[in-house]
Amino acid sequence: MSGVKLESIVKTYGALQVVHGIDLEVLEKEFVVLVGPSGCGKSTTLRMIAGLEEISGGQLTIDGRMMNRVAPKDRDVAMVFQNYALYPHLNVAENIAFGLRIRKESNAAVDAAVAEVSGILGLTDYLDRRPADLSGGQRQRVAMGRAIVRRPKVFLFDEPLSNLDAKLRTQMRAEIKRLHKRLGATSIYVTHDQVEAMTLADRIVVMQDGRIEQVGTPMELFLNPANSFVAGFLGAPPMNQIEAVIGEGADAPMAEFAGGKIALPKLPGLQNAVGREVIVGIRPEYAQIATAPAEGVVDCDLDLVETLGSEALLHMSIHGKPFVIRTETLGQVAELEHVTGFSAAPDLIKVFDANTGVALSGQMRVA
Amino acid sequence: MANMNLYSRGDKTFVIINMVLIGIFTLSTLYPFIYITALSFSSGFAATAGKVVLTPVERTAEAYNYILSDRMFWVSYGNTFIYTIGGTLMSLAFLIPGAYALSRPQLYGRRFWNLMVAFTMWFNAGLIPFFLNMRDLGLLDSYFGIIIGFAVNGFNLILLRNFFEGVPRSFEEAARMDGANDFQVLWKVYVPLAKPAIATVALFCMVSRWNGFFWAMVLLQDQDKIPLQVYLRHTIATLSDDPEFTATQLNASYSFETVSAAIIVCSIIPVLIIYPFIQKYFEKGILMGGVKE
Repeated sequence: MSGVKLESIVKTYGALQVVHGIDLEVLEKEFVVLVGPSGCGKSTTLRMIAGLEEISGGQLTIDGRMMNRVAPKDRDVAMVFQNYALYPHLNVAENIAFGLRIRKESNAAVDAAVAEVSGILGLTDYLDRRPADLSGGQRQRVAMGRAIVRRPKVFLFDEPLSNLDAKLRTQMRAEIKRLHKRLGATSIYVTHDQVEAMTLADRIVVMQDGRIEQVGTPMELFLNPANSFVAGFLGAPPMNQIEAVIGEGADAPMAEFAGGKIALPKLPGLQNAVGREVIVGIRPEYAQIATAPAEGVVDCDLDLVETLGSEALLHMSIHGKPFVIRTETLGQVAELEHVTGFSAAPDLIKVFDANTGVALSGQMRVA
Repeated sequence: MANMNLYSRGDKTFVIINMVLIGIFTLSTLYPFIYITALSFSSGFAATAGKVVLTPVERTAEAYNYILSDRMFWVSYGNTFIYTIGGTLMSLAFLIPGAYALSRPQLYGRRFWNLMVAFTMWFNAGLIPFFLNMRDLGLLDSYFGIIIGFAVNGFNLILLRNFFEGVPRSFEEAARMDGANDFQVLWKVYVPLAKPAIATVALFCMVSRWNGFFWAMVLLQDQDKIPLQVYLRHTIATLSDDPEFTATQLNASYSFETVSAAIIVCSIIPVLIIYPFIQKYFEKGILMGGVKE
């Protein structure tokens, strides 16, 4: 089974520790995305799996074999680099064949493999071109071809799409997903783009400051983020977070904050918790717009309407604090200018401890 | 030329002054070539009388007849080729792996080794200790001594090292992931990428070997091993001291000036022939397209 297992993986540079004991098991054929802000240790972790960085502590096993001290070439992994790293002096065919030539495969085997891979990636017409004569998307495809031609046990992707323009990125994202379905190889993919993470991953690993914040399927993470960091990282726009204090409520706990109050779900941590400081998390998609004051409506000022076509983003402010609502336009953009507040169903609200950021238990209803 | 209308008056003045200065510089470097060529095709009388300025006076190829019929000219010419080709190949054989090693961050004691190389650029042992060293190593009067004794030059090593350092690390990492070992990374990735830098260094080595004169004179006693430049010096020394040669030069069609000039012209020709072939490697942007910056 070609799974990858990280146990208490640590990376230090001198006295500086950048990865603090990561535990993660990537199953065979699984597509796992490591996501997090710059400097969170995701690339370093990937490079440790590749063998390009030494592992300072812990154990890495691939396919059940301990890999800590194994050279990159003997790990049977392939990597796609952010900057492509194509050999500029070789043409596309030679770039793809490089790894096979190094491994002294026969000419016939190399030619067959290059033909197959270039067919899969739509590069057949470009085999004689040098990297300098290719577009960004084509270069990225060559880089992927170089990785898949060896049929490695594990694919590693280090932000492979971040140098492409938005349209190409969307297109290549779909191609990577298709390729993974077709090849079924274990893949670990690093990105700071949460859209890539959500669309590609079987499971997402959210990292911050060299630690794993949460591991789960995209929907698990989206609906039930373990803490306010994950909540703020996934989703576009991210979850609104309002600092609040638990107040008295008739039958459900209420969160009170400057500018209003809102009913919260009946969570165990909120029983008899008057005065507890919390963060109220509301996804932009789950806030219902209101055009007049009413019971359960939080009043706010509309700053700006961003129209995206079928939907619009309403940039509101509650007592000076920003709050974003995502709503369908249904072709009535002008009416959105009259929005004066929002409401949210209690079971679509997440509550986090204000001090630790940890989510109070309770499953969000799947909308 | 760029449209001068786009320049301000100050810019125009700057461009004109630049052009004039570059023009003067070009002429001043070109003139010796023209003069020496003209001299080599002039008669001995005209040369001695100082009549040659820009073009040959009393045109003749007698100086060439004289040197081309001298066996020592051909022997020394051949030797120069041996020293130049052998020396350049030997230099590259040391410089390429050496520079690559010095450019690797994982090299143990890297700062120390780099400092040691740089040290040789500012300080050296001096003539006599070096001579004694060569003597004790049994490298006097041998082709190998000249070739190996000057194989590595700190400046060239650092030039090449700097180039290797500038190659993005991801090329090496990609090659390693593809299964390449250190030697394969060097020969299959870095050397092809470094062609312009290697060509530059090779040209430096070639020119210094081709013109190498002093150490060959010091280290070589055997006349059959001397290079062209030492032969040239011998010729000038012997012909100018030779009373017979001096006495006959007034009516001879060649003099020691024209003979020397002819040897110099002959020694320049190979460099002129080789340079255009090397020049294509001086192209910019060979790294372009491999990585996205």
